[in-house]
Amino acid sequence: MASQYVREQVALKWTNGFARLNRGEPGITGLLTFTEAWILAREFLRPRDINETKPEFVLTQVKLAFELIGECKMLQSLVDEFLEEMKQQQFLITQECERFMSQYESTSDPQYIAQLVMRLQQWYQAWQPASALGTSMMASYTTAFQTHLFSILPPSFPRGFKALISVTFNLTHRASVPQWLLDVAPQVEGQRPDLSLWVAFDQLGFLDRYDSLVSGVCHEYVEEHILETCAEKWDEPMLAKVREWMANTIVPWMMMPYGRGARTSEEARSMLQAVGSRFDFHLCKTLSELRIKEIFDIIVDYPDSMGALQDLKECLQRVDDKALLVSSLRKANHKRLLHPGADTKLILSQYVSIIRCLRVIDPVGVLLFKVADPIRRYLRERQDTIRCIVASLVGDGESGDSLVDDSEPIQPLQQPQADDYTDPQWEPEPIDAGPEFRTNKPSDVISTLVSIYDSKELFVKELQVLLAQRLLAVKDGNYDKERRNIEILKIRFGEASLQVCEVMLKDMTDSRRIDQHVQAQQSSVLHPTIISKHFWPPLQTTTFDMPGQLKEIQERYSKEFVAFKPDKKLSWLPLLGTVKLEIELDDRTIEIDASPLEAAFVELFSQKDVWTLNELIDEVGGSIDRVTALRALSSLVLHEILKESPLDTFNLLNTKEDIEKYGVKGKQREVVMQEEATLPVVTVQQQQAEQMQVFWKFIEGMLKNLGTLPLDRIQQMLKFAPDYDRSIDQLGAFMEAARQEGLVNVKDGFWSLSNA
Amino acid sequence: MKVTVKSWHAIAQWRWDTGSNSTEDEEGDVCGICRVAFEGCCPSCKVPGDDCPLIWGECSHVFHMHCLLKWIGTAASKQQCPMDRRPWATAERKVNK
Repeated sequence: MASQYVREQVALKWTNGFARLNRGEPGITGLLTFTEAWILAREFLRPRDINETKPEFVLTQVKLAFELIGECKMLQSLVDEFLEEMKQQQFLITQECERFMSQYESTSDPQYIAQLVMRLQQWYQAWQPASALGTSMMASYTTAFQTHLFSILPPSFPRGFKALISVTFNLTHRASVPQWLLDVAPQVEGQRPDLSLWVAFDQLGFLDRYDSLVSGVCHEYVEEHILETCAEKWDEPMLAKVREWMANTIVPWMMMPYGRGARTSEEARSMLQAVGSRFDFHLCKTLSELRIKEIFDIIVDYPDSMGALQDLKECLQRVDDKALLVSSLRKANHKRLLHPGADTKLILSQYVSIIRCLRVIDPVGVLLFKVADPIRRYLRERQDTIRCIVASLVGDGESGDSLVDDSEPIQPLQQPQADDYTDPQWEPEPIDAGPEFRTNKPSDVISTLVSIYDSKELFVKELQVLLAQRLLAVKDGNYDKERRNIEILKIRFGEASLQVCEVMLKDMTDSRRIDQHVQAQQSSVLHPTIISKHFWPPLQTTTFDMPGQLKEIQERYSKEFVAFKPDKKLSWLPLLGTVKLEIELDDRTIEIDASPLEAAFVELFSQKDVWTLNELIDEVGGSIDRVTALRALSSLVLHEILKESPLDTFNLLNTKEDIEKYGVKGKQREVVMQEEATLPVVTVQQQQAEQMQVFWKFIEGMLKNLGTLPLDRIQQMLKFAPDYDRSIDQLGAFMEAARQEGLVNVKDGFWSLSNA
Repeated sequence: MKVTVKSWHAIAQWRWDTGSNSTEDEEGDVCGICRVAFEGCCPSCKVPGDDCPLIWGECSHVFHMHCLLKWIGTAASKQQCPMDRRPWATAERKVNK
């Protein structure tokens, strides 16, 4: 039972409602006209199946009707009604959508997607309420339509949509347009053939919803093009070309999704600017990723790959891929360079290329520093690194390509310097520099190589050994090349470090002068090189006595020398040098270049025909060991002068019959021959190993007294020992070697004697 | 069998004939002043041999010439041999040794 108050309220509402609809017309005529207008408006708006013909409306009447409804403030109800009806009619769209999509799914042909889109646009336009109803009406209609549309599109639609977009590339020329597209999309003269398609996309809200899809398609397109045109093409900069390609191909396309509304080219440019720079970024990113993937081979190809490096440099300014570059180059180096199969020379030349390449990309050297670190550490572990560097320093002609450009000016080695903060040109370290980064002032390649090691003394030592080997091997007395090299190296290493080499060269010229003098007094077949022993690397000092005429020659020469230089004496290094011998046997004459020891043996065989090994060794005396003697004898056996039969007994092959009799080609001491040829000079490693033996005594004592010690303590204490100049790395390597021999143990970085 | 030596390239080291007849000793003697081997050179020289010769004293002591002259040049030396404090007298070299 409603209360009095409620009844009053209802009556009031009723009166108000009636008054609003009737608009103060007499009787209910106002109400009647409103009803007519309402019906007309609803009929006009009703969403119909577009396959049916739409009844004709007189537009002025419709307009009046809407005005009337608006006057009665009933528009909102009308819209609600309309949306409700639309909901009931939506099954029509769903049906069509399913039809096209099933066609697409069975054929995967994007033309069905295009047809679907154009059809949907027709539905959308057919149901669209008149714009006179206000923007809010339009907005709610569009929302309702799209909400429904997106809810019914099957998952295969994005795929089809993508395919359709891909088709729209390359549509600049009408000739290449597929026929179906011309059929489906209405063409506008003077415009791209896909224009209407894009309009439809926009109206249906696809562009907003599938924005990432659209740009994704474009990205893929760009990537594909870059891979196709730029991969392994390093000789010229491609970035500009790709950009040009983009301006010609992608930008006209971009006008469609992103710049359609533009009326002037000015406007279009501003609309495209944001999108364009996004695409440009993607382009740079793709190119730089490609180049980073190829970086190792690009470096191998340097300097033919200069173009690629320029590209990379430009791209990296836009894209922050430096970390990627560092990590991938490090990985590539690790996989392809720093393994036992790679020749040290190769590693060095690649390292030099890396230096040069990364200088191009990043002149400050941060990248280089990060990449170079593992290479340098690896090279330090290799034994022959120094020798390789030195060999390339002196332009060892073997490989032809020297690490050093001849065109590069020769500079002194640069030592790392502390920052000079009073320098007005001073600049802080780059922002991406690591804590270890040393400002690597653009120094030359050799300085960088030498700085792999802590001290340049090692180089000088190795250089000395190398120079000694070469000087002693020179036969024609032509030392110009060595002299020139030393002059060059003097500039690099400083005069003082190479003083020793200077003396070595002087010894060579002095020897020549002395020899000329001696020969003038009394000609001799002997032409010695007389050296100042403290200025040469340790030489093989094995001694033995020359027999017979050889000894005579030697002594005669010594005497002449003493006559020339009364206060000096000669002491021969009998194992070194070469002797050219002519051996007249019964039926043949052999001429050989023999080592002095071989010559001595030959001389002995001229005394009697059969010697045993021990007899020979006793006869030459000195400190000749079995292996050395055997090696010399084997060489004579190879020359078919001697024959070993039975074991350790050597016979002179006086005639050819003897050769046949003994069958000289038969059994040979291959084992001996396989041993490496003797070098006249004791290598630096051998020298170091010998020195280390001394220090081992210290280490042993230390560990015995103090128990366990960490490596740095051992290093500290060894520094008190005289002449100790090893780095802690070298000490570590030595200790590791000692551990492998079972002399010491290590646990948690503490070393102890293993027998303790 | 007859062996003829056509040519011979040998390597030899020179050393000072200091009179001590020990050809066998490996390291050789050092200058009593600079403690550098005789076959090396005195601290103020760079090239050994004839450019940095030795000097023999009648007291039988041998030094780098430059080292000794420098020593003799100082007032503290009193013209004495630094080894035995006898007045320094340079010995004549016996040439035919």
